[in-house]
Amino acid sequence: METFWDTFKRHGVSRRDFLKFATTITGMMGLAPTMIPEVVRAMETKPRVPVIWIHGLECTCCSESFIRSATPLASDVVLSMISLEYDDTLSAAAGEPLEEHRKKIMKEYWGNYILAVEGNPPLGEDGMYCIVAGKPFLEHLKESAEGAKAIIAWGSCASWGCVQAAKPNPTTAVPVDKVITNKPIIKVPGCPPIAEVMTGVVMYLVLFDRIPPLDSQGRPKMFYGNRIHDTCYRRAFFNAGQFVERFDDENAKKGWCLYKVGCRGPTTYNQCGSIRWYNGLSYPIQAGHGCIGCAEKDFWDNGPFYQRLTSIPVPKQEADADKVGAAVAAAAVGGAIIHGVASKIRNSGKKE
Amino acid sequence: MKRVVVDPVTRIEGHLRIELIVDEKTGKVKDAVSAGTMWRGIELILRGRDPRDAWAFAQRICGVCTSIHAYASVRCVEDALGIRIPKNANYIRNIMYGTLQAHDHTVHFYHLHALDWVSPVEALKADPVATAALQNKLLEKYGGIAELMPDPLGHRAYPRKFPKATPGYFRAFQEKIKKLVESGQLGIFAAHWWDHPDYKLLPPEVHLMAVAHYLNMLDVQRELFIPQVVFGGKNPHPHYIVGGMMCSISMDDMNAPINAEKLAVVEDAIYTQAEAVNLFYLVDLLAIGHIYVQKGWTYGGGLAKKRVLGYGEFPDEPYDDIKGGDYHNKILYHSNGVVEDFALGVDKAKYYPMVGKDFTDPEVIQEFVAHSWYKYPDESKGLHPWEGITEPNYTGPKEGTKTHWKYLDEQGKYSWLKSPRWRGKPCEVGPLARYIITYTAVKQGHIKPSWMDELIVNQIDTVSKVLGVPPHVWLPTTVGRTAARGLEAQVGVAANLYFFKKLIDNIKAGDTAVANMEKWEPEKWPKEAKGVGITEAPRGALGHWVIIKDGKIENYQCVVPTTWNGSPRDPMGGQGAFEECMKDTVVKVPEKPVEVLKGIHSFDPCLACSTHLYDTEGNEIVEVKVQGGIPAC
Repeated sequence: METFWDTFKRHGVSRRDFLKFATTITGMMGLAPTMIPEVVRAMETKPRVPVIWIHGLECTCCSESFIRSATPLASDVVLSMISLEYDDTLSAAAGEPLEEHRKKIMKEYWGNYILAVEGNPPLGEDGMYCIVAGKPFLEHLKESAEGAKAIIAWGSCASWGCVQAAKPNPTTAVPVDKVITNKPIIKVPGCPPIAEVMTGVVMYLVLFDRIPPLDSQGRPKMFYGNRIHDTCYRRAFFNAGQFVERFDDENAKKGWCLYKVGCRGPTTYNQCGSIRWYNGLSYPIQAGHGCIGCAEKDFWDNGPFYQRLTSIPVPKQEADADKVGAAVAAAAVGGAIIHGVASKIRNSGKKE
Repeated sequence: MKRVVVDPVTRIEGHLRIELIVDEKTGKVKDAVSAGTMWRGIELILRGRDPRDAWAFAQRICGVCTSIHAYASVRCVEDALGIRIPKNANYIRNIMYGTLQAHDHTVHFYHLHALDWVSPVEALKADPVATAALQNKLLEKYGGIAELMPDPLGHRAYPRKFPKATPGYFRAFQEKIKKLVESGQLGIFAAHWWDHPDYKLLPPEVHLMAVAHYLNMLDVQRELFIPQVVFGGKNPHPHYIVGGMMCSISMDDMNAPINAEKLAVVEDAIYTQAEAVNLFYLVDLLAIGHIYVQKGWTYGGGLAKKRVLGYGEFPDEPYDDIKGGDYHNKILYHSNGVVEDFALGVDKAKYYPMVGKDFTDPEVIQEFVAHSWYKYPDESKGLHPWEGITEPNYTGPKEGTKTHWKYLDEQGKYSWLKSPRWRGKPCEVGPLARYIITYTAVKQGHIKPSWMDELIVNQIDTVSKVLGVPPHVWLPTTVGRTAARGLEAQVGVAANLYFFKKLIDNIKAGDTAVANMEKWEPEKWPKEAKGVGITEAPRGALGHWVIIKDGKIENYQCVVPTTWNGSPRDPMGGQGAFEECMKDTVVKVPEKPVEVLKGIHSFDPCLACSTHLYDTEGNEIVEVKVQGGIPAC
């Protein structure tokens, strides 16, 4: 099969631009510059990986987010890096021919395709709260997972259940890992996840042919290793005890910390503070709204959103930043424990 | 008669199945069945929560027309609590809304709809030099449409991104497609009916032009949403607050959410929207639509010919309430009404306005469940959203098993969508509906047209001149529905320029307030309050209804565009717009119903929006039947 470098050459991309691209995505994936040669080598030797992208109960915000990726551009990912063979939102084909195509790809690339899951399966009414091609989505999920080499659980729906699983969860919606237990699952939470986090995960999988190091909850450590609070541009105001007391007050105009109006930045693991949205343009806190914690498990039921977190100690004026940092970290245990996931994705090699 | 099933219908949001009953001799679709095949229960989840949080939950109804449910939600809570938002918040919300129209329509046309009209396979046959020449010719022929758009800011000297009408540009994209085809991994283009005769209607150069723009726009579309990211912090799912906006304005502080630098970013993005819509979208649309109409392709009008409904949008200045009627005194886009029989000609069409009281009148908007998987005590009657009952009642298909369908039962229940009706009658909603209503209201003299209404009338008259047919002939068709969406994207951009100027002028005059926090605390609320929040989602009329009791949500309901358009039959036999548009269509190859896909896609269906659970009104949540007994996570 053709390698990335072959594809780039065919598209008239110069060696120089190719190397520039490899350097950018190395940084994107949170890797040290010393890894650049490995990324280049990987891109010179890896073929386009087939991807089947299926949709359960969801709102399609993950797909919408994905196509907003700027580095790398989503179009490059879809047309040059991966081969998106099945996607409810983007596939030209519909109905039976598309279902047949999915089965054909599964057979042809058994053990070698990636399954991307957006949304989640409901278990209520024998799965008939989400029906695809006249069958429960649950069945599609299990069938498509069978020959996949890895599964990406896109967004908070696939990762945790998200809004439809919020109390009282009328459809008994469950996250993907509740029904698929024998495959590596990479959780990429967020409602939606940041576009560059999504393409970064795809690039890692495709280039290194292994799943990225995951934390104890199954999230790639490179993207979910820090709380939003850790890299927030308003953190200095938190440390200095300078807070917005009410939306649109004088302090809000100065861009002070939003903790007192309910910000969940101190307990939310994601890259909003560093990668931000739209290629670094902004993120909710920058626009003046507290983080609602959309990448965290069951965040819908941790509300109301405008109630401040009581477990986070609020520093007094000019408080000691180190002390505050340590206290905050202690209050939000659980996310950063290293998980010993096998570094190589095993090729199951099974055939039906 | 042949029964053809298309499931899943792709390039939409969510899950949809269609079944066609086709007369093989004539190719005419005799009857059609459309079924929403997912269900989530968001209104149930909203009960008992803080109404100030509702926007975030409701917003997750849809991540495609992202922000519109949040918009309807904050409006409905503000309507209930009697909150008037500041001027700046009104202008900013309007810009976020106009941005949604510009982006959502553009992405719909290129990435969800274009491949029904144009083909990458045909594009390979084109000559890039001839394509560049054609693009220039088309810009000359149809480019005048751009001049209809007023530019009160007048800041942009020349286009920066478009149009790229050079042979090199088209050759590069053709190469890209060629290599993709040669690689054997067709990806998103795989397995489609590219051999369908409809793809031969256009010359190869038009195919190459449109497919190149499909690929190019995939990269550009992200920039169109920038105003939402600046004002709302992210996209999809930008943030809002009840009482206005949270993005405080300061011209003196670099840390302020909105300052001079951020406003410059917004202005630049609005001009990018203008270029994308005026010089790409509208020209491609007119070129393709013109050829199709000339070749007699005027199917798919369906329900639009009989009855359309809209709510109105773009309040020029802050208003006091919706249910009292003040909102409709302030709007610029007068699509608030119902029009019947537009296909007979604009003079013969019947016009009924929709104002405040119509949204609280229990007889005006009702929902039926006779053919939906829900139970009512009396299924021959409809219920106003405030009185709605939902008791899930899944009954399975006509043929097949409970979990493995063959054919659905159109005589019985067959969809997770309910059937909203206006005075008991089905209506089409969406850009086409809005255009028909505004046009009729202006031409029949029911309203004093705003600058926005005038723009819409000018657009329709200009396109009628280009096509050489009157509006009542070309508008209520699949092509007309697709065209109205493109024209409305231009209205969205025009609104952005207009409200951006108002925002700047207001800040200049010393007003920087973005939020009214007087009634933020629940202790300042009445013990019980009811509210209506209406807007026009890109896909059509959207309404949220809330009842707040003791500071919590007692009841929350949404009646959404795709529920109107995609609804199953009602007990009186009325069919929704999807089903009616299919019945109006002839398919050349029954096994490959591209014509029907065109029709369905022209509505830009959003099934996640339309398949949500309504009020249980007294039914305990635990009564929702769950089989398998696996606990929620």
